[in-house]
Amino acid sequence: MYLTVRDATKTYGTFTALDRVSIEIDRGEFVCLLGPSGCGKTTLLRLIAGLSDLDGGEILLEDTALSDLPARKRGFGIVFQSYSLFPNMTVADNIGYGLRIRGTQRSEISARVTELLELVKLPQVADNFPNQLSGGQQQRIALARAIAVDPRVLLLDEPLSALDAKVRAELRDEIRHVQRSLGIPTLMVTHDQEEALALADKIICMNHGVVVQAGTPEDLYHRPRTRFVAEFMGISNLLSTEAVAQIFPDLLATRPAGADGAHVVCIRPEQIGVTPAPDGNATVRGISFLGNLRRLEVESPGGPLVVETHGADTCREGDRVNLHVASEACTWVADDVAQAPAESQS
Amino acid sequence: MRPARSRMDGDRFLTWVCVGLPLLGLVLFFLYPMVIVFLRSLTVEDGYGLANYTQVLGSAGFWRATWHSLLMGGTTTALSVFLGFIIAHGLHRCAFPGKWLVRGIIILPLLAPSLVQALGLIFLLGRNGVVSRALGTEIEIYGFWGLLIANTLYALPQAVMIIGAALVLLDARTYEAAEVMGASPSRQFRDLTLPAARFGILNAAFVCFTITITDFGNAAVIGGDYSVLATEIYSQVVGQRNFNMGAVVGIMLLLPTVISYAIERQAMKRQRTGQATGQVRYRPSFRPLRDTVMAGLSLLICAGIVAVIGIVVYASFVTLWPYNMALSPKHYDITLAGGYSSLWMTIVISVMAATGGTLAVFLLGLGLRRLPRTAAQPIQILAAMPAAVPGMVLGLAYILTFNSTATPLYLLYGTAALIAIINFYHYHTQGFLTLMTGFRQLPPALEEAAGSLGAGLGRTAIDIVAPFIAPMLVSVFFFLFMRSMVTLSAVVFLTTPDLSVAAVTIMRLDDAGLTSQAAAFSTCVMAIVCLALLSMKATLALMSRRHHMKEAA
Repeated sequence: MYLTVRDATKTYGTFTALDRVSIEIDRGEFVCLLGPSGCGKTTLLRLIAGLSDLDGGEILLEDTALSDLPARKRGFGIVFQSYSLFPNMTVADNIGYGLRIRGTQRSEISARVTELLELVKLPQVADNFPNQLSGGQQQRIALARAIAVDPRVLLLDEPLSALDAKVRAELRDEIRHVQRSLGIPTLMVTHDQEEALALADKIICMNHGVVVQAGTPEDLYHRPRTRFVAEFMGISNLLSTEAVAQIFPDLLATRPAGADGAHVVCIRPEQIGVTPAPDGNATVRGISFLGNLRRLEVESPGGPLVVETHGADTCREGDRVNLHVASEACTWVADDVAQAPAESQS
Repeated sequence: MRPARSRMDGDRFLTWVCVGLPLLGLVLFFLYPMVIVFLRSLTVEDGYGLANYTQVLGSAGFWRATWHSLLMGGTTTALSVFLGFIIAHGLHRCAFPGKWLVRGIIILPLLAPSLVQALGLIFLLGRNGVVSRALGTEIEIYGFWGLLIANTLYALPQAVMIIGAALVLLDARTYEAAEVMGASPSRQFRDLTLPAARFGILNAAFVCFTITITDFGNAAVIGGDYSVLATEIYSQVVGQRNFNMGAVVGIMLLLPTVISYAIERQAMKRQRTGQATGQVRYRPSFRPLRDTVMAGLSLLICAGIVAVIGIVVYASFVTLWPYNMALSPKHYDITLAGGYSSLWMTIVISVMAATGGTLAVFLLGLGLRRLPRTAAQPIQILAAMPAAVPGMVLGLAYILTFNSTATPLYLLYGTAALIAIINFYHYHTQGFLTLMTGFRQLPPALEEAAGSLGAGLGRTAIDIVAPFIAPMLVSVFFFLFMRSMVTLSAVVFLTTPDLSVAAVTIMRLDDAGLTSQAAAFSTCVMAIVCLALLSMKATLALMSRRHHMKEAA
């Protein structure tokens, strides 16, 4: 592995921000740290950057321990949520700053700056000051500044959170493109699961200072291991064993052994099929039209469910329907969240 | 388990230098002298004891001076807060033209040594003053009333600024809501303005009280027989050469100022929490009755300030006050030994204090950001402490500390450097707090970004931090320069026949009966300080224009 974090621990007073967290990043890999605020993801990123010190564990870059190396000697690039361009320098000076520190020739710096401005598609702003640029433009420059020095690892701390939706989508693709073409191992912190699904080769889902599950986006979406991951990655219907027995008794066959409360089943809304039937055991309570799809709220004997359908408009509010789901399309997950089963939708 | 980073890298070392040097300065030039003055107050012939205290507490003179100080402090506070509220309310809550004039005039007393107000009053209301001669009666200006007016004029700018800062915080939407709910203007004033301004008023009261009881210049010139604690210290030390007794009186003067400062800091904290983001500024609309009255009152107070300070400038050009009122520049030929040398020396000292001081607080602020909270907090408290110590007490502490051959610090005694140092530590708190506001606005991500790009502390400080807080650095530099130009209380004990400063020279000229020359000298000081103020405004305006040009281009 290229970058390895082993048993990283960080406490603030009595609060444990990170509890023996281990992660790995391979060469050229794009890894997302995903989790709700306060889960420790930013703390982990700052430890890797060298902006704060480990209380326990170690961080290795190609088997060399980084702990003794201050941030400025690690040769990493970092982009913050708040742009953090130097307000007193022009765009060109910002991008060239890391190279200037390394004593690079002036002509070489200027060539590199031009090249990077092309890369982030802002070739005309070299002599502007940061406060003349929009948020999205500033974040592109911050990205260019971070990669100017050919960083060994690129660290992105919620780089898109401060931007509005359209700019965010654009820049997301930009980041993906730049990272792919340069092959820089990248670690991004985000609380937005959609962002993580779109960008990452690997997602590390965190909660309360520990890693809950790590894997490909497909893994985490389709095969969550715990209720927390299932709820965090998109919309899911989480049903208790009792409820499953009432609506989808077929699914009980795949249930792992354990106490009634130990597992719940996770069914994604698009996995549930709906057929109108006057004698159906479920009722459509509400319909939201979302353009490419239609989201139904359905009242079933086991409680309310969310269903997403594509294609023709087949039912109305108040219609009675039958529900069906393929047994391979559901996942039994460990119930790690104390919550009443009746309120299982997110 | 910690710290994981065992090796001492260059930046850690630099951080400790940044904090260590200014901290060493605070210990050597503030804490240590304060300990010495305290010990000296306990020093008796055969060791330590409370004999000095019993002697001071048993003397009628001390109690008279204490009573006078408290009475003077209280009265001045009430008057300057009242007048200050009128002006601040006029500036921020009323609509009338010429506010810039009021703003300009109100800061005049800060640009001159405090004894200028006293000089001006003597030229106006003294035995040979303009008013006395016009009315043909003799007004006894020396004593309580003269001192009260002089102190009020001196404290007024502070009151206006502090109360103004509280009134600015009031959100326009609150008033609009009250208006819609049917509250009359007087109700709005009573129910919204006054409660919101109460911490500002409280804060202003404590500042005015402290300024008044610690001021020496006005009391020395116009106090006459009305002895106060500041003049009592002076007469113990300079008159009777009784340093231990001076130290006792100093400690007694320290008590009320420390208490007052502690309460003031609390009040400031309370006020800050009331602030909301995204507030809408109140824009007063013209109400004939309210605004003509407020404008009239404000202009009347301003006229008083202009008269008192203007008469000093005028009198400095009068051939022989009050007998030959023809104008001539002859008083500008200073006849006292040394002439203008002390003025040039004061400029040198002020530049030293401003340069060294700005650098010291910059390093301290830079280093404190990198220290853990537990280490930074006590240092911050220490850095904010000097404001609680009256200049007279600090000056006395310095003479006791540096005029003793016990330590090598003796080498500093009688040098311009020591006067620059005392000026800096006298105004350390204000400079430090101003710069800390600047540092608080600096996003940590900027320094972290520079760090991960490979910049060490030194580079980050020069390339990123200094340009960011440049306006604050300029303000602190000029603040220290201007205060050093006019301060008297802290330096009065440290001047020697060979080394004097402007404010002391003015006092000597006045003592020698050369009042017109004192006026001339004061005018020169005011001219230099005004020039410094204008340079500061110009520099700041230039900086913000360059900033805005960046935005507009």
